Amino acid sequence: MRGCRSCLVLIALSLTLVLGFGASVFGAGETGPVRIGLQAPVTGQWAYEGEMARNCVEIIADEINGKGGVLGGRKIEIVVGDDQCSPKQSALVAQRMISDKVVAVIGTYGSSVTEPAATIYEREGLLNIAYGSTAVQLTEHGWKYFFRTCFRDDRQGAFFAEFVNETLKVKKVAILHDNTTFGKGLAEAARASLEEAKKAEIVFYDVVTPGERDFTPILTRMHKADPDVLYFTGYYPEAGLIIRQMRGLGSKAVFVGGNAAINDEFVEIAGKDIAKGALMTQEPMPTDLKYAESKAFLDEYIRRHGVPPSSPWPVYAADALKAIAAAIDETGSTDSAVLADYIRNEMEGLPGVTGPIGFDEIGDRAGAIYLAYEVTEDGKFQPYQP
Amino acid sequence: MPHGGLWPCRLRQSPHAESMALFIEQLVNGLTVGAVYALVALGYTMVYGVMRLINFAHGDFFMIGSYLGFTLVSSALVGGAIPLWAALILITALSMVGVAILGVVVERAAYRPLRRASRLTAVVSAIGVSIFLQNAVMLIWGPRYRAYPSWAVPDVSWQVGGIYINLMQILILAVSFGLMVSLYVFVQRTTVGAAIRATAIDHDTARLMGIDVDQIIRLIFLIGPALGAAAGVLLGLYYRQIHFTVGWTYGLKAFTAAIMGGIGNIPGAMVGGLLLGILEMLGAGYISSAWKDVFVFLILILLLMFRPTGILGERIAEKV
Repeated sequence: MRGCRSCLVLIALSLTLVLGFGASVFGAGETGPVRIGLQAPVTGQWAYEGEMARNCVEIIADEINGKGGVLGGRKIEIVVGDDQCSPKQSALVAQRMISDKVVAVIGTYGSSVTEPAATIYEREGLLNIAYGSTAVQLTEHGWKYFFRTCFRDDRQGAFFAEFVNETLKVKKVAILHDNTTFGKGLAEAARASLEEAKKAEIVFYDVVTPGERDFTPILTRMHKADPDVLYFTGYYPEAGLIIRQMRGLGSKAVFVGGNAAINDEFVEIAGKDIAKGALMTQEPMPTDLKYAESKAFLDEYIRRHGVPPSSPWPVYAADALKAIAAAIDETGSTDSAVLADYIRNEMEGLPGVTGPIGFDEIGDRAGAIYLAYEVTEDGKFQPYQP
Repeated sequence: MPHGGLWPCRLRQSPHAESMALFIEQLVNGLTVGAVYALVALGYTMVYGVMRLINFAHGDFFMIGSYLGFTLVSSALVGGAIPLWAALILITALSMVGVAILGVVVERAAYRPLRRASRLTAVVSAIGVSIFLQNAVMLIWGPRYRAYPSWAVPDVSWQVGGIYINLMQILILAVSFGLMVSLYVFVQRTTVGAAIRATAIDHDTARLMGIDVDQIIRLIFLIGPALGAAAGVLLGLYYRQIHFTVGWTYGLKAFTAAIMGGIGNIPGAMVGGLLLGILEMLGAGYISSAWKDVFVFLILILLLMFRPTGILGERIAEKV
């Protein structure tokens, strides 16, 4: 009796093994679909971000499959892994992607969630392209298989410098940050880019404390330095107070906020009359993208879902898939090492939804595609027209 | 002052005068913030004087005051038949009444049952009340930042000899000094004030003299929170932005001010508040905004080391 049962178990086990193995062998074979993972927060607090990312990726997958797929006729199949925007869940999803033997992974959204997953992908040698993780340190690890289609935080500083020198064409710049990792990083990047360009001069550079309400002492000092523009890289609660208090002190400097300041509450705290004309640097909203691909993509998105994506990030997931598919086609391979090598060294100017796609040697998206937004009379944000 | 007359100097706008104007501007900013600290500090100091209790929930009375004011300002009360200034006075008064009632309820529910317990127990209860109030406000008004509507106080400012002063600063200074002076007169010159002072000295003896100690404590919990609420509305009108955690930051600063001036001492709380505001603004204006709090609390530590009873001293004989 006992012997018989273990016998059965053994048979069942070997069957599973053979079948499972067989399936994976066929899956990776020459005719089956090419499986690509999408790691995104499909449930939880950021579910709407994950949902939009899935919508975007599906559109591109359908588009590629409609044109006959990759590698001469193989379809792309998307495997969705829900990380709930939690670092713990992220590691589990990564392990599942490995055991599912996907060719590459798109994702994920939050920087701190990307970190554990990318560590696993790196160890296992699986190509992964993040779409919403902008923290600088992610590409500082020297990872071979990690890339991102979104621009890292400090690129915004480079954009600001260019914006000041080429669009606003002013001479004296003040920079304020709030000592958070993000705010300080952006302020330092802006300072470095301005110093490198050697056009506008930084006349004031200082720090405020987040949660504070009275910034008049520091703004009084700033006003004395008489800047043409103030760049504040912190978050909207302080940004709203700062613009109000600097106007109260008589400062006419143009207020420019970073993308942490873009929020309706900025307008509410500052008041519409004061917020009007304030500028913000940000990743373009999908509806403000002006590339040929973006237009067609958005039309398709709206046709399927009724409204355009409501945040800048999901479209970067679409471009991650574009990059992976292009790499597979160009190299004729599904080996992550070959693909990563191609993406790093040869991919350049691939037309994407968010503009030309190319990567630098550490895996960051090349270039800096940002937009300046302006607060309108009725308190809305719209692309700045000089 | 090494350089002679101030006014003619500033009219010429020499660099010297300009830095003087800057200094005065920082001073005015400091006085404004300091007046708010002082109003809140009074609540700490009065409760301590009468009950020997550090009421850690006091900062939250202040916060609730600013939220009540916010709701009232956004309500139909404003923009109707009554002029704006009358509406604002009414709103401040209503918020004060609301928070005063809350103060009495809190005293009855969280402090009176512990009157005979150890002091530590009462402090723990106070911290509990603080957490309760903060979370209640978060649930009622939501966790996001709220902003007083911009039309509530017009952004009027004047430039006097190179110094910018705005309407709200003047209002804050006037209202808080008015309240502080009335409180001082009330405590020092009236019979009820004498009863408060007597209770502060000794509960049992006061009771023997026919003073209803519970009644006096209730009164303290009416006045303190009401003053805090007034400060809360002023803060909301001045900075416009409020948040349910604001009670913690301002409570801590006001507590520091009360200690600086000598806890239990009413004029001490006023002096401490004003001093703290000025120190903060000068620290931020001349040293660094990032080091502002370090600067303030360093002075508190030094004060506690060398003059533990505060600037005006904890009055041993007469604590209120």
